[in-house]
Amino acid sequence: MGQNQPADPAGRAGSQAPAARRIALAMAALAAVGMLRILFLHFVSEPLHEPLREPIDLRYQALRPLLPAGEAGYVSDQPAVELRGETPTPGTRMYLQAQFALAPVVLRYDDSRASLVIANLADPAQLPDLLRARSLELLARPAPGLAVARPR
Amino acid sequence: MSLLAIVLFGAGAVASGFPRRAGSAGERAFRAALAAALGIGAWSSAYAAGRMAGAGAGAAKDWVLALSGLALIVGFRRREREDPRAGEPAPPWLIGLFALSCLVAVAAFLEHTVRFPDGGWDAWMIWNLRARFLARSADLRSAFSPDLSFLAHPDYPWLLPGAVAQGYALFGESRAVPAALGAIYGLLAVAVVALGLWRSLDARWGLLGGLAVTTLPCFAVFASNQQSDVPLAVYLAAATALLASARSRREIALAGFAAGLGMWTKNEGALYAGCLLLALLWRRRDLPGAGAFALGALPGAALFAWFKLALAPPNDLVAFSTGATVLHNALDLGRWGHLLLLALRRIVYFQDFALWALALALALILFFRGRPPAAERTALLLAFAAYGPIYLLQPHGLEWIFRTSADRILIQLWPAAVLATLPSLAQTKAST
Repeated sequence: MGQNQPADPAGRAGSQAPAARRIALAMAALAAVGMLRILFLHFVSEPLHEPLREPIDLRYQALRPLLPAGEAGYVSDQPAVELRGETPTPGTRMYLQAQFALAPVVLRYDDSRASLVIANLADPAQLPDLLRARSLELLARPAPGLAVARPR
Repeated sequence: MSLLAIVLFGAGAVASGFPRRAGSAGERAFRAALAAALGIGAWSSAYAAGRMAGAGAGAAKDWVLALSGLALIVGFRRREREDPRAGEPAPPWLIGLFALSCLVAVAAFLEHTVRFPDGGWDAWMIWNLRARFLARSADLRSAFSPDLSFLAHPDYPWLLPGAVAQGYALFGESRAVPAALGAIYGLLAVAVVALGLWRSLDARWGLLGGLAVTTLPCFAVFASNQQSDVPLAVYLAAATALLASARSRREIALAGFAAGLGMWTKNEGALYAGCLLLALLWRRRDLPGAGAFALGALPGAALFAWFKLALAPPNDLVAFSTGATVLHNALDLGRWGHLLLLALRRIVYFQDFALWALALALALILFFRGRPPAAERTALLLAFAAYGPIYLLQPHGLEWIFRTSADRILIQLWPAAVLATLPSLAQTKAST
């Protein structure tokens, strides 16, 4: 069932060896281009343009012990994408990162009627307005921009 | 015990899959890489089966795997050694270039891992999120809750999250666990390609194949992103390598087992397994071989079907589609043209592929035009073609979904494409 016969690099298989050598040199050239691209991206471009990311858990570590198992509502001053085909917004990133950090609690997006609601704000000063607009009562404020609340 | 389960089951699966013992260093190394990939996959699959059955997923499962592997090793120990192949050694310059490319890839992997400590966007949004649910809660339903954002894709199979969750149980919930698994699968992707070509051709072609993987600029990034694309690439490449060189139904069954693990790694794995099966039937007209492949894929396929029927919420591509949207998208000629343009532009996407994708496209046109492709290359062409209607008919914005998925699909297919292409190039005459 095997079908592949090797080319003979020593040239004993007629004209296969010169072709194999040319292919090898072409692939080596492609590899050199690829390596240069890798080195430029990781050691020139990214250090200039991509800041080192903080671990996601740092922001949420004070909030996690306050949550029971199960589900919680999630509200924010930044809207998250819920419609298909839209480019994720900063609010989407906040929501998904909160979900990652707080698992296994399932965060129900935009649900302010759950028994416990997480408020996640890009601008901490917006918290009173958000709580008022969603008829929520503040229970705890474990970190700037993060709050635990319940429906009034 | 987990390590013993992985090693023994992987070794047992490989022992049962080859009628003869390895006769050369390249063959032994290839089988070792294969055993590692299959062992990790089986370890994670057994974990998933245990969790879904409600029987737990602790040491008992590892004992079963280890003893099964041991039984296979003992049962298949009396095999003749195959004749060693007389291959040409690789030239020193090529060995040096390959070593340099590995250093560059490792450096890129480390740089990216330090810069993005939680992996790529999909890692924390999907794969490591799922691993955390699995590790932190005994209740499986929360991990696949329909209340999770569709972007978290709770319908995706969970070979990688299952392995990460078990890693968390063994070593604590450290970011090093998914990063280490990313490194292992990255290493296996290079090993399966390089060693697969070494055993079937020679060391020179093995190193050239390895180079084509390590110097694809997005390869190290995807490996460090801690997503399921590189693991899926490993299983697809393993199945492709085994099919390309198979001299017995046992090797074809082992290829099926690898393809089944690919199904349990990502939804696309089901497409690739289907394409490999179809290509076997079409190109080789080998019904018993196709049966062996299907039998080998059965464990992964059964797990996949069990999860989809019992736990998984609907896939977003299905949930957001209606008959009207599918018909509208199918008849939208502008969408066809847009997709063609996006695909052509992607071939010359230097940032991620350098010149490799363009070179492959040119090789397919210049070298293989008019030649009937072998089964494994047919399978990859079928998979590539299937993405046309998938992209066209799916309900999301075409540009957005293409931009966020095309590179991942290429990285899934790339190692297998290198394995399927180089043997034909090796037979190229100077006059072509």
